[in-house]
Amino acid sequence: MSEIYSVELIDVLKRFGNVVAVDHVNLKIRENEFFSLLGPSGCGKTTTLRIIAGLEEPDEGIVKLYGEDVTDVPTHKRNIGMVFQHLALFPHMNVFDNIAFGLKMRKTPKEEIKRKVKEALEIVKLEGLENRRVNQLSGGQQQRVALARALVIEPEVLLLDEPLGALDLKIRQHMMVELKNIQRRVKTTFIYVTHDQTEAMTMSDRIAIMKDGRIQQIGTPLEIYYRPSNTFVASFIGEAVNLIIGEIGENNVMNTSLGTVYCPEQSIKGKAAVMVRPEMLEIGENLSQVDNLFKGIVQAAIFKGSYIEYRVDVQGTIFIVHKHGIDGMEKFYTPGTLVEIGWKKNSSLTIPV
Amino acid sequence: MDTLLKYIRRNVKVKVTLLLAPPLIFLAIWFYAPFMIVGLYSFDMINIYREITFTPSLTHYSKVLSWTGAAGIFLRSLYFAGVTVALCLLIGYPVAYYISFKVKKYKDLFIILFIIPFWVSFLLRTYAMMSILDERSIFNTILVSIGLINSPIKIMYTDAAVILVMVYDYLVMMVLPLYANLEKLDKSLLEAASTLGADPVKTFLKVTLPLSMPGIMAGFLLVFIPSVGEFVIPELVGGPNNYMVGNIIYEIFMGARHWWTGSALSMLFIAFILSLVIVYVRRVGERGLAI
Ligand SMILES: Nc1ncnc2c1ncn2[C@@H]1O[C@H](COP(=O)(O)OP(=O)(O)OP(=O)(O)O)[C@@H](O)[C@H]1O
Ligand SMILES: [Mg+2]
Repeated sequence: MSEIYSVELIDVLKRFGNVVAVDHVNLKIRENEFFSLLGPSGCGKTTTLRIIAGLEEPDEGIVKLYGEDVTDVPTHKRNIGMVFQHLALFPHMNVFDNIAFGLKMRKTPKEEIKRKVKEALEIVKLEGLENRRVNQLSGGQQQRVALARALVIEPEVLLLDEPLGALDLKIRQHMMVELKNIQRRVKTTFIYVTHDQTEAMTMSDRIAIMKDGRIQQIGTPLEIYYRPSNTFVASFIGEAVNLIIGEIGENNVMNTSLGTVYCPEQSIKGKAAVMVRPEMLEIGENLSQVDNLFKGIVQAAIFKGSYIEYRVDVQGTIFIVHKHGIDGMEKFYTPGTLVEIGWKKNSSLTIPV
Repeated sequence: MDTLLKYIRRNVKVKVTLLLAPPLIFLAIWFYAPFMIVGLYSFDMINIYREITFTPSLTHYSKVLSWTGAAGIFLRSLYFAGVTVALCLLIGYPVAYYISFKVKKYKDLFIILFIIPFWVSFLLRTYAMMSILDERSIFNTILVSIGLINSPIKIMYTDAAVILVMVYDYLVMMVLPLYANLEKLDKSLLEAASTLGADPVKTFLKVTLPLSMPGIMAGFLLVFIPSVGEFVIPELVGGPNNYMVGNIIYEIFMGARHWWTGSALSMLFIAFILSLVIVYVRRVGERGLAI
């Protein structure tokens, strides 16, 4: 008994000249999942998405949609929808015709087209704009038209390539919530490409982190954040991370250039990195109840609103500390102050390097 | 002086007028003035001593209009130009499409290869074509000698010859605007169409073709207007039965030296073509250019 996945990539590889854009990628995306592909620019996200859409042919590997091998099926015969990074709305059509395009291609009866377009416009909250030309819409509205156009054909899978990239922060935050709501309502698998971790973290059920064409880790946002499987993921996700490299011996004790570091139980052995998130670090003059404690000098203190970011120099290694819940100015350490930083071993994680 | 310069710099209207003045004056002298003179001749407002008279009359127009052969010549001109445009579009669209969509690396090279023949003077090109179309041309000789055809193909001095040479001479006028237009076309629109279930043919008909309407329009006008008034090509490769309006006008001006009739015929023909073009631009243009 094997689970049916809405999208399955098996050992997919794609080269552009000498560049391996997608390198032996394996993905199993579940039905109705909000799945994100996240990674730095040029890591192969778009190419992966285009391979799923059939806009790009893989050099090796198999693409499956709902268990069916579609590797050689042309795009227009795959039941997918796609929202392009630059939207690609048809400039010679109004909003209605843009949204109705896919239905017309499917030879849907006129009345049904009208009804479905109306529904789609309701979902994306654009009622009444049917007759507008697309260049008479704001960026956010165009965004919604692109979404409605892809949704109205009721695709098995909706592919979105950085659809919020062109929008400003406020609309983007709003659209993130909207997108997630729409996905819940229409019950379709969303595959969402982005290089913005906030977007991926906010909306996704699971995230695949990519780098240089390879998948680094697949997991829920929490797993990715707290259980990164390598140092790249650890430093790519989150605002900042502290990584200390060393050698773990017996009893989960790590030898580092800073001295001994106590690692969580059942840590791996050998060369490894210990990861501590900035908010897991404590800072003070007289710390107790921590397993690891170092003395350092505050190098910078940056007020970031809900927390203060300290950069603390410990024997030449910079630690980043996020101190939340500041009650008044008395605990604000100015640069040059001698402080202690420390953490409990169980709020750290060891990662093989 | 300084304040004057400042005034000019700040005042957009003045600036535009000053900038446009030289070309406008040039146009006025070399284009509109001769045109006015033709107009004056056609209304019989210039006498044989080349003096302007203020007694306009329509006699020359009525003479031209009462000439029964005129309609036939007009129609033949339209027919030649129409077929030329259609063939240019039929050949030019695939060429522009191919270079824009299928050629990956050396697009510029392809376009230059296409343009190079047009660096040669129009007359030379036409003479070159004549040597190909001639009954005793090397092609006919070769084709006959290898037995592909029994007797030389006779194209010279037929409608086909006129149209063939016009297509050859004006094709580039169709390809260039189309190419420029197709190059601008956002290729992701075609991908978007395919993700919405449109096969390549539907994508072409519903997206590429409507979006290339401005290019087609431009190409149409650039080919149609010069070819409908063409007179050199029918003169060189056509026979007396392939005359176009241009040839008749030329004959009346240069042969009969009756500038009044020639002018009236010219004016009528211009009005005729202009109204056709306006109707065409209105009809196709509203859809095509509104993008
Ligand atoms: N059509 C192409 N021809 C040649 N190389 C390409 C092509 N498309 C992508 N590449 C290369 O493949 C690699 C992956 O590109 P891709 O567009 O998938 O990256 P991406 O993760 O989407 O990046 P971004 O976040 O910048 O959009 C890059 O190195 C890119 O230069
Ligand atoms: Mg991309």
